[in-house]
Amino acid sequence: MTTINKVKKVIPDEAIPEVGTKIVNRDGQDYLLVNDAMFTFYQRSMGEFTPFFLGMRDERKILGCRCTKCGIVRVPPLATRCPDCNFAPTELVEVGDVGKMLSTPPITYFASSLFQEQVPSGRGRIVLEGADTALSVNFYTTKGILVPGIVNRGTEMKVVFKDQRVGDITDIFCVPASELTSEQVARKGLLVSEIDWESAAEPDLPQQGPNDRGRFASALAGLRALAGEMNQCERAREDIADWKRNVHVKTAGGQMTMTIDNGDLTFEPGLVGDPDFVAVCADPMVLQEGLAYKGSLTQAMMERRLWISRNPEFTTIFKLERMARSLARSKKV
Amino acid sequence: MGKRVGIVGAAVTPFKGRWVEKTYYELAQWATADALKDAGISPNEVDGAFYAIYNDIFERTCIPEHPLQGILGLQNKFGIRITNGGATGAYTMSAAHAYVAAGRFDVVLVLGVEKATDCFDFQSMSATPEVIKSIGWSGDSFFEQKLGWTAADSYAEVILAYKDEHPDDLKPEISAAISSQLSMQVRTNPYAQRQFDQVTPEEVLNSRVVAYPFKELEICVYSEGAAALVMAEEETAKAISRNTGQPVVWITGLGEANEHSFAGKNQKVMHRILSDHLAAQRAYKMAGIKSPIDEIDIVELHDAFVPQLEVTMAEMGFVPLGRADSLIEDGIMTPGGKLSVNPCGGLIYCGHAVGASNIMSAWSARSELIKQGKRRALVHGTGSTVAQYTAALILSQE
Repeated sequence: MTTINKVKKVIPDEAIPEVGTKIVNRDGQDYLLVNDAMFTFYQRSMGEFTPFFLGMRDERKILGCRCTKCGIVRVPPLATRCPDCNFAPTELVEVGDVGKMLSTPPITYFASSLFQEQVPSGRGRIVLEGADTALSVNFYTTKGILVPGIVNRGTEMKVVFKDQRVGDITDIFCVPASELTSEQVARKGLLVSEIDWESAAEPDLPQQGPNDRGRFASALAGLRALAGEMNQCERAREDIADWKRNVHVKTAGGQMTMTIDNGDLTFEPGLVGDPDFVAVCADPMVLQEGLAYKGSLTQAMMERRLWISRNPEFTTIFKLERMARSLARSKKV
Repeated sequence: MGKRVGIVGAAVTPFKGRWVEKTYYELAQWATADALKDAGISPNEVDGAFYAIYNDIFERTCIPEHPLQGILGLQNKFGIRITNGGATGAYTMSAAHAYVAAGRFDVVLVLGVEKATDCFDFQSMSATPEVIKSIGWSGDSFFEQKLGWTAADSYAEVILAYKDEHPDDLKPEISAAISSQLSMQVRTNPYAQRQFDQVTPEEVLNSRVVAYPFKELEICVYSEGAAALVMAEEETAKAISRNTGQPVVWITGLGEANEHSFAGKNQKVMHRILSDHLAAQRAYKMAGIKSPIDEIDIVELHDAFVPQLEVTMAEMGFVPLGRADSLIEDGIMTPGGKLSVNPCGGLIYCGHAVGASNIMSAWSARSELIKQGKRRALVHGTGSTVAQYTAALILSQE
């Protein structure tokens, strides 16, 4: 959400592997793997879409194309001729920057390698005022982590323009109009910096109840037992190979530290070391059931029973869920 | 109407999450050799090849089929590659049928091969995010790729829009039951990636959400592998059949449809998979099928996602739209029901080696028709953004 000051590379440096090889063994035979890439750089023509992208970049407005015969307004302005009117010419027209979701949009929790740090992320289709077709947009909430139910079919959405725009589709995204003031919704070309983005505030834990300490102790023992099994399970170890994290876990009944260290998973009481992120769950059994493959950690996050302090660390949650499945599978074989 | 076309040979390699032991050259040759052996013919008797390879990036080359022509023994003969997203295999069978039906060739090879999981993300030290990224290059390049378009989120759009229209259908416990059933069916498929990965409905329900609303155990898995068919015109097919002792399985119906890839007025109707509906109707018409639920015995359906399997079954006329859950609730596809759906385990359990997947489905449909002595099967492929493409085939045994 914040402006980016450093120069962005077309391919992030951290995504590029070193020149190298690896040998893997299958049934006593060695096989060669070679680090490699296919890469092509472009200076890509935006052609007839130039006014659309420059309109967003320079004037904070959104253009569509209107058929001079049937009057349909398509956004984005896909065609200079209307395919429904025997290719009658279309003309560019400005449309509004408020609209409604065409249908309930999906939320991606497991992204491609290019979008790992952006999940959970939403992509939906908004029919802007004055338009007949829907524009694909990313959408966010100003109220924390994105979960289902915030944006549905018909939800009124406001287009927000990034402060630094480059002339591509990521110059804009949407937020629910209900999360903005009426003045913000009415303002043309609303900027990211004109919205108050709540900083990630750690959720309050409930007052410690009479059973919470016992439940915490039981969960910690259960987690340690699971970690012991996982550390003996080759498939589970592979799931956190080359991964290191210190996680402070806060629950109603107590606090613990989860450490992931290149295949090893450990739990210890208390908050130890400098955390990469903080996890808060009132009930520690949420974590234990997730790792025991009796419940989904992602589902718990979607239902707000589990909270983490850094969105990019959703990757770690996924790795933990993969370990849970690996251990469950290994017990069947 | 052109010549009758039949399938006289078929083979698949094992589908695996990773084949470090073999390149796609070897997988292609392996499946081809076994399919020709099944038909009892040599490469000399094949007039041309139809290659189903979806994605250049997976194979790390832009003309992935060119090295195959020679190593399959088909040098100096016809060769063409088809690529149509997830529906690549089904569309390739459709194209091969058209050439043979038109009288251009007597015997052709249809070969699907894919090697997806050489793609590797060096940040997470795992393949899947890079595979998803590679498929992500298939989204619209001006307006959608940079938003994080994925195959999963584009199919999820369709399913959620369907749920907007039919909120009581596609219940999670039904999707879980279907996935669990497929995992049981895969046990008899020795070529499957997940032959021994049986799951309970409860495990499906508890599996992690990958792209809301899809859960991990409701999604097809990326595979590496190859599948091949030998198709022949009528007289040649009958001669091959006399030689091998295996009945000809005839291709009696085909239908295809590609929808609009953008949504809204006059564009994609997001809550429908009209491509499935139109392709199936066209295939039924060609095959003379009036009531698919009564006239089709086996369905080998491209199950990219379980909820999509359900909607596709409704779009193809097996159950009403809005009542897809009746597939389980009314016992239509449960063991002993009217339909056998994905006896191979589908792409969710056998695996999704994209270009090879629908051909693997046809391999399974053919062998099930022969083994079970059934009359008709439907083979289906879906692909591209928002379930835009469909190709469907009717296979018949006399």
